[in-house]
Amino acid sequence: MLKKIDVQDAVGTRLAHDITEIRPGEFKGPAFTKGHEVCNEDICHLQKLGKNHLYLIDLEEDEIHENQAASILAGALAGEGIAWEDRPKEGKIGLHAAVDGLLKVDAAALAAFNMVDEVMCATLHSHTLVKKGELVAATRAIPLVMKRAPVERAAAIAAQNGGSVRVATLKKVRAGIVVTGSEIFNGLIEDKFAPILSAKIADLGSKVAGIAFAPDDENLIAEAIAGHLDNGCDLLILSGGMSVDPDDVTRKAIRMAGAEEAHYGAAALPGAMFLTAYIGDTPLLGVPACGLHHRITVLDLILPRILAGERIGKKELAFIGHGGLCRDCPDCSYPHCPFGKGM
Amino acid sequence: MQSFDALLNESSAAHGHLCPGQVVGVRMAMLGCRLIGLDEPTRRDQIKKLIVYVEMDRCTADAVAHVTGVKLGRRSLKFVDYGIMAATFVNLETGKAFRVLSTEEARDLACAYAPDVAGKGARQLEAYRRMPDSVLFRVQKVRVNLDECDLPGPTRFKAVCSRCGQVIRDRREYLVDGAPVCRPCSDNCYFSHAREVNWPHMDWSPPSESNSEPSRQVPARCGLVSVS
Repeated sequence: MLKKIDVQDAVGTRLAHDITEIRPGEFKGPAFTKGHEVCNEDICHLQKLGKNHLYLIDLEEDEIHENQAASILAGALAGEGIAWEDRPKEGKIGLHAAVDGLLKVDAAALAAFNMVDEVMCATLHSHTLVKKGELVAATRAIPLVMKRAPVERAAAIAAQNGGSVRVATLKKVRAGIVVTGSEIFNGLIEDKFAPILSAKIADLGSKVAGIAFAPDDENLIAEAIAGHLDNGCDLLILSGGMSVDPDDVTRKAIRMAGAEEAHYGAAALPGAMFLTAYIGDTPLLGVPACGLHHRITVLDLILPRILAGERIGKKELAFIGHGGLCRDCPDCSYPHCPFGKGM
Repeated sequence: MQSFDALLNESSAAHGHLCPGQVVGVRMAMLGCRLIGLDEPTRRDQIKKLIVYVEMDRCTADAVAHVTGVKLGRRSLKFVDYGIMAATFVNLETGKAFRVLSTEEARDLACAYAPDVAGKGARQLEAYRRMPDSVLFRVQKVRVNLDECDLPGPTRFKAVCSRCGQVIRDRREYLVDGAPVCRPCSDNCYFSHAREVNWPHMDWSPPSESNSEPSRQVPARCGLVSVS
C-alpha cells in the first residue's frame, strides 16, 4: 500500500525508491537512492526535481516492491552465459554477457513475458555477437509496488527452457575451405574468396585448417570435400558454383560427397543462393559469388549461429527474410543496422 | 491421464472438429485436474470427487467436459453463463478449488509461438500446443461454497409451485410472499407466452424389444399440425 505525503512532511522518512535526476546532455541517474533518510537540506533539491509529494510504503502480504520484483524477473530471464547483479538501479536490473558469444533470445517467451501487466524486459536482437560484460538486456517492474502473483507468473514464463536470454559461446572449429571454379583452378584469375572467408572465420575465433581448389567438376569438388573431412575439419565452406549456370556444380558435388540434408536458397539479399548441408553433424556452407562483392552477406548471419551450435535448416533460412534485405549503404555500419535482425 | 495428443484426438472427435478451443480446453482440464490432485478424473474412484464449473458455452467447454468426464446430468458439470474463457475445478474431498482462465494475450502471442504456420486458425491451434501453461493460463485459488442441493446424488428437496403446481427440485424455486414459485411463473425465465398445445401422433411410444411392431406407426413425414 502506498501513502502519499507532502515533501515538507517527509523529513525523517526513508525514500521508497530511487529518485532519478536528468540534466540534459550532462547526467541521468539516481539523485537519491531507495532507503535514503530525507533531511531538511533535501527538500529544495526534491522540489527542483518536481517532487512535491513522496510515497511511504507499507507492503501488504501479497505485494512486492519494484526492486524485489526486478530481482525475481532478472533471475528468471537470465539463462546460460548471462551475469547480473542483485542491485537494482532506479528499479532496473541489467543483464550482461558473462562470456563472448552469440546472444540468443527466446522471442516468443520474451513477448509473452512482456504481455504480463506491469513488467518489462528489453533486449538486443537475438543472434547479435556480444562481448563479455556487454549489456544485452534490462528488466524492471513498472509500478513501485505490485502484486506478487503476476511477477511470479512473468518469471515462470521467462524461465522456460532455461531462461529467455542467454549467450552461447562460439565453438572453435577447424574449417576447411573449398574454392571452386575452373577459372581459378586453371589460373586464369586470382582467387579472392579464400582470404575473405579466412578472415571471417578468424574473426569468430576459429581456424582454417586447409584451403582446397577445385575446377567445375563435381567429382573433384566432392574429392576436395572428402579430403577436408578426412583431415578432421568440422566445418566446410565452399565458394562459387552456387548459381544456375551449367558450370555451377557445387550443389551436386555436395550431395555426391554424402550430404544427407541440404537446403538451397536463403531469404536474404545478398545471399539468396546460399546453401547449408550436413554430412553427419558437420555443416557445409555454400557461399555464392555475392560473398566476393559485399562486405556482409547471409554468411555473416549464419556462420555465427553455426558456431554457436545451431543446426540451420529450411526454417532458419526462411525466417531471416524479415529484415533480410541489405540496404547496401555506401558506408556499411553492420552490425549496427537492421540486416538480419527480423527474427 | 492419457497423453495430451490422445485426449485431444478423442475430445475433438466427440466435439465434431479440431479447433484452437479444443486445444485450450484439453490443456485447461489437464492443468485443473493436476492442481486439485486428480490424475485420472474419469476413473471410478476419482469421478465422484470432481465438480467443474465452466463459464462459457464454447468449444473449450466441451473439451473440458470430455477430458474430466464431468456431465451435466451427473451434476458434476456446472454451466455458469459468464462469457469468460474459464473453468473452476473443485475437489470435493479436499475442498481445493482452482479457477483456470485462458489468457487473452495468448491470441496475440500466437504469431510469436507459431510463426511458421500460416492461417489464423491453424496458427492458433499450433501455438496453443506450444505455449507453456504460464502463457496460456492464469490461475486463481478460489473458494466454492457448494450448497447441498448442488451436489451430485439424489434430489434433496422438492417444492411445488404455488401458481402452476409444477414440482421444482433442489431449491430452484423462488419465494414470493413466502410461497414457492417456479421460474416460468416468475419474471425471470428464458421464454414467454407459454401455452399448452397438442401435437401429431401424440400417442406414439417406442416399440418394445419383444415386439418389433411399434405401438403406433408414425408416418415418415411428420410435422406439427396447426394448433392455432
